Amino acid sequence: MRVALLVLSAFAVVGAPSERRANVRPEERTTWDSVFTRAQAERGEATYARTCSRCHQATLSGADQSPALVGSTFLGKWDGLTVGQLHDRIRTTMPSGDPGIYTRAEVSDVIAYILDYNAYPAGIVELPTSGNLLSGIRILETRPRAGGS
Amino acid sequence: MRGSRYSPLDQINAENFGSLEVAWRFKTDAFGPRPEYKLEGTPLMVGGILYTTAGTRRAVVALDAATGELVWMHSENEGARGAAAPRPLSGRGLSYWTDGTDARILYVTPGYRLIALDAKTGALVPSFGKNGAVDLKLELDQTLEPDLETGEIGFQGAPVVARDVVIIGAAFREGGAPKSAKNTKGYIRGYDVRTGKRLWIFHTIPKKGQVGYDTWKDGSAEVAGNTGVWTQITVDEELGLVYLPVESPTGDYYGGHRPGDNLYGEALVCVDLRTGVRKWHHQIVRHPIWDFDLPAAPILADITVDGKAIRAVALPTKQGILYMFDRVTGAPIWPMEERAVEAGNVPGETYAPTQPIPTKPAAYSRNGITLDDLIDFTPALKEAGVQLASRFKLGPLFTPPIVSTSDGPIGTLTQGPTNGGTNWPVGSYDPETHIVYLSASNNSPSLLSLVPPAPGASDMRYVRGIAPPAPGAPRLTGFSVQGLPLLKPPYGTITAIQLDRGEILWQVPHGETPDAVRNSPALTGLDIPRTGQSGSVGTLVTKTLVIAGDPETTTTPTRARSAMLRAYDKATGREVGAVQLAAPQSGSPMTYSVNGRQYIVVAISGGPYSGEYIAFRLPVAGGR
Repeated sequence: MRVALLVLSAFAVVGAPSERRANVRPEERTTWDSVFTRAQAERGEATYARTCSRCHQATLSGADQSPALVGSTFLGKWDGLTVGQLHDRIRTTMPSGDPGIYTRAEVSDVIAYILDYNAYPAGIVELPTSGNLLSGIRILETRPRAGGS
Repeated sequence: MRGSRYSPLDQINAENFGSLEVAWRFKTDAFGPRPEYKLEGTPLMVGGILYTTAGTRRAVVALDAATGELVWMHSENEGARGAAAPRPLSGRGLSYWTDGTDARILYVTPGYRLIALDAKTGALVPSFGKNGAVDLKLELDQTLEPDLETGEIGFQGAPVVARDVVIIGAAFREGGAPKSAKNTKGYIRGYDVRTGKRLWIFHTIPKKGQVGYDTWKDGSAEVAGNTGVWTQITVDEELGLVYLPVESPTGDYYGGHRPGDNLYGEALVCVDLRTGVRKWHHQIVRHPIWDFDLPAAPILADITVDGKAIRAVALPTKQGILYMFDRVTGAPIWPMEERAVEAGNVPGETYAPTQPIPTKPAAYSRNGITLDDLIDFTPALKEAGVQLASRFKLGPLFTPPIVSTSDGPIGTLTQGPTNGGTNWPVGSYDPETHIVYLSASNNSPSLLSLVPPAPGASDMRYVRGIAPPAPGAPRLTGFSVQGLPLLKPPYGTITAIQLDRGEILWQVPHGETPDAVRNSPALTGLDIPRTGQSGSVGTLVTKTLVIAGDPETTTTPTRARSAMLRAYDKATGREVGAVQLAAPQSGSPMTYSVNGRQYIVVAISGGPYSGEYIAFRLPVAGGR
């Protein structure tokens, strides 16, 4: 019950308007709204270390053929898009030699790790696995100026 | 073949570029078991048919150049061999060959097989190799370990065809943390375009008795691998000479297992088209430990220096230095100086004491990082940038990698290695004016930091990595300050260089200012000129224009999220027009004319947008 109430309050906070972006609809959450848990990020770190780090590096800095997953290089590319779109991209193309081996939950865990690494705030509710829910969370490089979160 | 990316077409010009409309789009999702988000092909157009590669299986498609309608396609399902490819996906293109009657398309599959197709029908040419295919993992002058299926070698570029010879490069997985100091060697080979018979092989790591073997001390030439050519190869068909831009040897950042200069690692090598015999070479980086590779196709340029005609070859680099040589003799066009460079202290490593640097032209992009290169929009941002940079070793070009330490420095932070300067999309050369146009990234910082490999992960003494942070120390989260790049703009540029004089004529930032900069709360009230964007993109030069697309998307008050395909006046660099792209340019723009109308086609993809070729043309006057 307590968890359910907190989830509701998280949505309520997001309901406040964002001055910065007209394209953030009131019902949407953003990556600034504590959309994953630290434990989930730790699970994602283990998955990342097993496969992803070989090309994207332990520091998420990327290399010749593998884009960075941290900092303005990464966030600039995904700024304004949804976590659902990022999830789809990773799920259908990664790891490059064997795409599709990870479950939806594992992909969500890896995204939680990426968000954690990029210093987005963790919370008490895990990043979901459902495409519909993930597409309601927008990646914003800069924290919205006013209102929620 | 000459690396020029020039077209004399002039129907599309400064006055009408902005009115271009989409002629057709060709989505590549269905040419493989899943969509591709990194479409890098540059199409060829012959006789009204556009040929290109597409999709995650690297299919070949032939399209009606006026409408984009599919005429034929060919795809190879290579199973586990394709899945093990070190350079998968759709690749960067294909080649066309004809003797006037027979016409063929040649390409290399992800699994490293050379395929010959009938250009009219797409059918395999049965007389070529074995039923239309040559297995490039064979006749390699070495045994591929562990087996043909998973042995590591491939090629994502277009094969080059000249005078009935097909030349094939060699590429590998990224080499920052190799499993072993021993790897496959990236030899380069020539094949008969009619039969698929191997004509020659050039040993990019010399065999015992060959010139250059002694530049690998302690017998390391027997062990080291890589040293292939993963970018495009250039040929002077008239001279019968091939120009090979060779990549780094095994261990991008640690050369302790290969003491010596390591020829032909990071050398430009000229070989005979018929025999593969070396004519001359010039090593751009001695004992390579920066992953500079030679990432860009050499550009052939017939220039005039002090009244003397010279057949030159110009080599763009990640260092942002354009190296120019007489392409017949190999003599530098401009005097070279031997610059003393810092010796590092990584255990077991050896260092070249000097590196050759041409006195002209001046560097056209940032190489190395000093405090002067850091963000300085405001004093507060500058201070924050200096604080972040204090965790790294900084220095000029050729500052060596270091062993990472928890207390710092974490590594050498530099600009150039990995993704800086110019990369495989290269640039363009205008043969009428002798001007070369180069796109370059000024904001691709790279951390050169070494650690001993995890137990069992590698037999290298050091691989790329960072030491665990000291207790309480902040995690390294990229090279950003309050969401802004640590390095100051311009983040990416296009530069025009006059080759007769070796002088930069103009340089402009390329690409819209990124959203994170334009919307940054830290920059409120400041007037920030266009910054350009990080990334090296392909350019096209026409009779009057230089054309290139943005490497990133942006959202501005006047348009929805998109990238722009931009046209610049090639004489001045002034932007004269732009049209929207749904995703960043990921291939290089190419132009052709069909039925009296000029088209520009370019591959776009990235982020959530899967690969698409998009073609533009001018509206018909008075048309719909």
